[in-house]
Amino acid sequence: MIGDIILNFFRFFLLIFIQVLVLNQIEVGGAINGYLNPYLYVLFILMLPVNINKTLLLFISFITGLSVDLFSGTAGMHASACLFIGFIRPSFLNLIAPREGYETTLRLNMQGMGASTFLVYSSILVLIHHLVLFLIESFSFLNFFDLLLHVLTCSISTLILIVLSQVLTQKNREAVS
Amino acid sequence: MRNFILIIRKYNFFILFLLLQGLCIYLLVRNTTYQKEKVISTSNAFVGRVYTAYSDVADYLKLGVTNKALSEENARLRKADSASFYDTSFRIIRMKDSLNKQQYEYITARVINNSVSRINNYITLDKGSLQGIQPDMGVISSNGVVGYVKDVSPHFSTVVSLLHSGFKVSSIIKKNGYFGSTVWNGVSPRYANLLDIPIHAKISIGDTIVTSTYSGIFPRGIMVGKIHQIGTAGESFKEIKMLLSTDFQNLSYVYVVRNIMKAEIDTLETKLEAIK
Repeated sequence: MIGDIILNFFRFFLLIFIQVLVLNQIEVGGAINGYLNPYLYVLFILMLPVNINKTLLLFISFITGLSVDLFSGTAGMHASACLFIGFIRPSFLNLIAPREGYETTLRLNMQGMGASTFLVYSSILVLIHHLVLFLIESFSFLNFFDLLLHVLTCSISTLILIVLSQVLTQKNREAVS
Repeated sequence: MRNFILIIRKYNFFILFLLLQGLCIYLLVRNTTYQKEKVISTSNAFVGRVYTAYSDVADYLKLGVTNKALSEENARLRKADSASFYDTSFRIIRMKDSLNKQQYEYITARVINNSVSRINNYITLDKGSLQGIQPDMGVISSNGVVGYVKDVSPHFSTVVSLLHSGFKVSSIIKKNGYFGSTVWNGVSPRYANLLDIPIHAKISIGDTIVTSTYSGIFPRGIMVGKIHQIGTAGESFKEIKMLLSTDFQNLSYVYVVRNIMKAEIDTLETKLEAIK
């Protein structure tokens, strides 16, 4: 239990650090500019323990989004998008639950859930997060098609990073145990 | 009353969600309307310090390019210096210059955070109110227009980049004086659009676009870009795409423009508003 809290704290700081100082600084020029901004920090909310208190989950999501906002100068934008996925995560997890329900020790990662379930779980929540984020960011500036394209391409780049991070940490754990 | 409490207890998760979402919207709205009393901005002290540390490293890697840009500017200034002109006069008349009065001052600042790939892009500078920077001052680089100051803290300031969906630069075509506004197109950091140029204006590709003094934040004649493509939008206006002269992807040092007479112009213009 204490180990879980420490692990999640560590993951929070690591992911925010990577998001703010590495991913937010990448500027791809040319025609694909703006289409490949990954928001890897969402992974933190995805990987919070399965049996976490719903209210606590909402607060943690809110604070995660707010910390990214703090560094991007976009008050409320990421916080709002994170709140959304924090809000639907419990119901969504119930929806895709196996018939006998989740074990409380289950870890919400690729290893614990299995590759296909984890991919469905993360891609849907990432898509929703990006959709809300871009809707708030661009209200009427981009046309609908451009907006969807932005959501899709950015979601794909986020997902690639999420899968990469899963594969990397998975290897490590096998080596340890 | 009891039913009311029951409803709250039943839906407390949803109500909490709505409350927090409301807080987000409050922050968003407050961020866009009341610039001066913002809760969260990249110019706050902690975030500023993190970004300073980051750009200390990043600047080091960009030293080569920055050196080149600065030395090019030096060369240009040296060319304009009085020492590089041959004196053709044979008599010197000294007089006190009462014709010209200084209107613009420039404060140099370093870019410590910058983005180009979002839809609303911001820049953070390492100078703030202690160095005399105030909101609504213009920001230029040695190549052209960059943006305007949005918020200041004692040591840092945030700048709304030209690459921002809500920022219009009032500009004129240098050749014939037609004026319009420059707005970013939201796609590439190299290109922007020039709006409101009438269809009968004679222009050609490669014409220079510079700032006008209408906004009061930029001096006259600061380079904005060059016309890249001309089309028509509707019946009465041209659609002009321009290549921006500032390379936003490679920005290290900028100048903040202080218009000494801005207060005077503003008070005069608010009088006009009051009459309306």
